[in-house]
Amino acid sequence: MIVLRDVIKQYKNKFALYNVSLHINPGEFVFLVGSSGAGKSTLMKMLYMEEKPTRGQVLVGGINIANLHPNKIPNLRRCMGIVFQDYKLLQSHTVYDNIAYVIRTMGISSKEIEARVFGALKVVGLEDKAKSRPSELSGGEQQRVSIARAIVNGPPLLIADEPTGNLDPKNSMEVMQILEQVNQRGITILVSTHDHAIVNHFRKRVITLENGQKIKDVQAGTYD
Amino acid sequence: MTNGSTRNRLKQKVKSHIPKDWLTEIRIAYRILIETIKGIVQTGFVINLAIITSMAAILLIFGVIFRTTLSLSSLVDEMGGTLEISVYLEPQADVNSTIKNIKKIKHVKNVSFISKDKSWNDLKREIEMPDIDNPLPDVLRVKVDNMKNIDPIMTDVKKLPDIQDTGYAKDLAQKVEVVNKISHTITLVVMIVSSLLTITIINNTIQLVIQSRKEEIEIMRLMGVSNWYIKCPLVLQGAIYGFLGALLAVIPINIVQKYFQAMHAHFSIPVFGYAQGLVVLSVILMGVIFSAGGSLMSIKKHLQV
Repeated sequence: MIVLRDVIKQYKNKFALYNVSLHINPGEFVFLVGSSGAGKSTLMKMLYMEEKPTRGQVLVGGINIANLHPNKIPNLRRCMGIVFQDYKLLQSHTVYDNIAYVIRTMGISSKEIEARVFGALKVVGLEDKAKSRPSELSGGEQQRVSIARAIVNGPPLLIADEPTGNLDPKNSMEVMQILEQVNQRGITILVSTHDHAIVNHFRKRVITLENGQKIKDVQAGTYD
Repeated sequence: MTNGSTRNRLKQKVKSHIPKDWLTEIRIAYRILIETIKGIVQTGFVINLAIITSMAAILLIFGVIFRTTLSLSSLVDEMGGTLEISVYLEPQADVNSTIKNIKKIKHVKNVSFISKDKSWNDLKREIEMPDIDNPLPDVLRVKVDNMKNIDPIMTDVKKLPDIQDTGYAKDLAQKVEVVNKISHTITLVVMIVSSLLTITIINNTIQLVIQSRKEEIEIMRLMGVSNWYIKCPLVLQGAIYGFLGALLAVIPINIVQKYFQAMHAHFSIPVFGYAQGLVVLSVILMGVIFSAGGSLMSIKKHLQV
């Protein structure tokens, strides 16, 4: 699903990523860990083309997205779900409208949109919050809405950049459990985090970055 | 059967006649329209009103000046039609062959002959003349299609045999031509200035819209909303401002047009049949095209999509 080959990302004189290679198979659940500045966010941003590699190949679903034409970037992003630390919800829209936003732009019928949105809300356990605004929800609930939005288009890949960064331990655990359920539906999940407790609890594959380099890649690993 | 179920059945019937791809496109177009309306509503009534009236004022100035130029052009054309070149013939001149030769010259509309006897009798009727021999020559009156062709025609006529002299109301023709040129230049300048003002106003407005919706647009972009789906409502918003401004400007322009029509009727100057429609169409097109252009420029500058 995701292949990185000798990826380098350089900002002026500083390397954010240096010769990173990795391979994530379809259906895997992978934690990307490391301290702040290790290069996690840069790697995640590269996957949805918010950043371009300075050198190397980034393959998503077999396509080298490093050479992707800028016009095709929205297509790439629609093929994956993205979850952010700060949720990135439209505060003026209801939960329903937030989740439906992207699929509405694709010309899908309102009947199908409704079915998809409520299906996604069911997965995150927020069917009764469809008419609420994000400001009326707790942080954990807002992140669950953000997960619902990420999965509403049925993507084969979901990437979550520090999804529990703004949450307390209880909400963090709930959010991670939802991501695990999503993974059980066959969706590949890549989560960047520096939350030891979560990584150690779930015992998934753990890729560790340090100073822009991959230093460890362990199946059923922990975060030391 | 309830109204709701009748409506649903009708909806299904209509849908069944539309190919699936079209339905998708129609839904997308509908969503873009909704986004555009939302954008206008979010901008606020007072700002919308300010933008539309500013646009209307600019387009009104353009429309009135354009209309004035069209009337002046009519006047100039009419004068060009009435202005004649007088060609004075030598006493031994072959009138018929000279008429034939003049008619061959390009841009000559008509040639008429006035004998020296007729001229002398007319003159004697107007002024008391002493009893002398008729000193006047035979004259040909040459009508030209356009005033600007008078000079070259006169040059050609002078080259013909048996021509004593030529003449026409040169001063008047030149003055009218200058006024016509000035009015055309003013229209062009006003059009350029109006276009720039339209673009600037819409550019700044859309910049404000983009600033106020920056976060929303950023989220849309990250979620994979197409670039053109983000851009389209902003371009349409600009175009709608231009269109509404133009519609508002058309009302006083029509009143001005009525005065022009009355003036044309009074002086018996024919006006282009399409003048009214041309001015209205130009104002609307200018409003819409330059407003959409202003939006596009703003999007290009302030929106990294």
